[in-house]
Amino acid sequence: MKKKEKKPNFSKSHKLYVRRLRRDKFIVIFFRIFVLVAFLGLWELLTYYKVLDPFFVSSPSRIIKQIGTMASNGTLFSHSWITLYETLIGFGIATALGYLIAVLLWWNEKVRKIFEPYIVVLNSLPKIALGPVIILWVGAGTNAIVLMCVLICIVITTMSMLSAFLSVEEGKILLLKSMNANKFQILFKLVLPSTMPEFISVLKINVGMSWVGSIMGEYLTSKAGLGYLIVYGGQIFKIDLVMAATVILCILAFAMYYFVSLLEKHYGTSRGKG
Amino acid sequence: MENLLSFSQVNYFYQTKKDEIFALNNINFDIEEESFSSIVGPSGCGKTTILSLTAGLLKPSSGKIVLDGEEQIDSKKIGYMFQRDHLFNWRSVWKNITLGIEIQKPQNKEEKLAFAEELLKKYDLIGFKNKKPTALSGGMRQRVALIRTLAMEPKLLLLDEPFSALDYQTRLSVCDDVYDIIKTEKKTAMLVTHDISEALSMSDKIVVLSSRPATVKDTLKLSLQGETPLKKREDPEFSSLFDYLWRQLSNEEKGKET
Repeated sequence: MKKKEKKPNFSKSHKLYVRRLRRDKFIVIFFRIFVLVAFLGLWELLTYYKVLDPFFVSSPSRIIKQIGTMASNGTLFSHSWITLYETLIGFGIATALGYLIAVLLWWNEKVRKIFEPYIVVLNSLPKIALGPVIILWVGAGTNAIVLMCVLICIVITTMSMLSAFLSVEEGKILLLKSMNANKFQILFKLVLPSTMPEFISVLKINVGMSWVGSIMGEYLTSKAGLGYLIVYGGQIFKIDLVMAATVILCILAFAMYYFVSLLEKHYGTSRGKG
Repeated sequence: MENLLSFSQVNYFYQTKKDEIFALNNINFDIEEESFSSIVGPSGCGKTTILSLTAGLLKPSSGKIVLDGEEQIDSKKIGYMFQRDHLFNWRSVWKNITLGIEIQKPQNKEEKLAFAEELLKKYDLIGFKNKKPTALSGGMRQRVALIRTLAMEPKLLLLDEPFSALDYQTRLSVCDDVYDIIKTEKKTAMLVTHDISEALSMSDKIVVLSSRPATVKDTLKLSLQGETPLKKREDPEFSSLFDYLWRQLSNEEKGKET
């Protein structure tokens, strides 16, 4: 067992090494920002001097102005909220339901074998193809959008979690069996906690997928929301609106991803291979 | 001494889709209370099957297994220690050790928990009580695994090559540790191994199995001098016994090839 020393005396070479690490990190961050600034600057300049037509490509200053107007008349928040709401509901339902189905399929081998081919087919089916059917069944509007979102996320959730559940080490299950554990205990003491890292990565995938679902749903049928703004802006050739909605979408999706990665920090380190 | 475990005329068949594999052929042996017995045999001969039968994870195809005077195996009387420590890395050392108590929910839970705590203190792991197993070395993890097994106060310990995942140096010292703990706690143990010197240095009795279908080829009673397994290796008889066992096992391996 190695003990961690609190304040070791660093040698000169170690100091150099640390300094080089810091310099490398600085270079990465510097160029990361540089790329963004250069891209925005070039975009702005090219449109300012009419090399590119801002009518077709918009420009950073126009996007900011657009967002500003939307913020002042309140449409920014109402549209963002509608899409965020649809996404979060879809994300929640799909994750919970998909997880539950995975647990049921893990529990019963026969049921798993019966449904395996159907799940594979559902996974490869492009869910957008179901769009018209969805609208016919649950009507146009929020329900249809949430359902689209759920359909897009749920199959991948079930498949990923099931394969994680099934790859839990046989020896560990045997250990619990030798302690006379029942299936319920094997599930809650071993299978669910040991697959926490896989669950987090499913959450991360679902963040992306649920935004795809809700925007796709809004393309299909909507009267409000960011997806609606994008379609509407495209139809009336108001590219500033399209770009502004896209930027807000980026920010919201990133924020959601960030919350999931906070969760990961909390649970991620609690398991190594054992 | 009374017999804690006895196998009489035990046969076992494995069922697979294509075949029925005859694994154990008329196995007979007894294990006395507070003894340390080893089962050695060529690889794949069905050593682990014997442990699984004893633990009640498998049922014999025919024959009788009597544990502590009962034919119905009570798995609470068995402590199973595996090749790998199988510690749960998301639980603290303490939570790992009390896993069995958590699962079996015994009436005297408080007593059992106190006993587990005592074991931790006795075997120098109390400082790691709230640490995660990832902070432990291989040898320490194996010791935690043993304490997890002992915490349930089993009558019979089943050891399935518990040292094979460790490097040689650690293996010798963990071997001493485990032997010491088992003797101090006055437990009966049954070790399965293909390492002849390990079997010789730890056991009072060795059951030699033939290759599949396994039969009992020989049963040796040992009385090597020495307080620890490492010391026992220095007994002058050790090397002649080693030769004898080695020849028996290599005959079996050869027999398998032809």
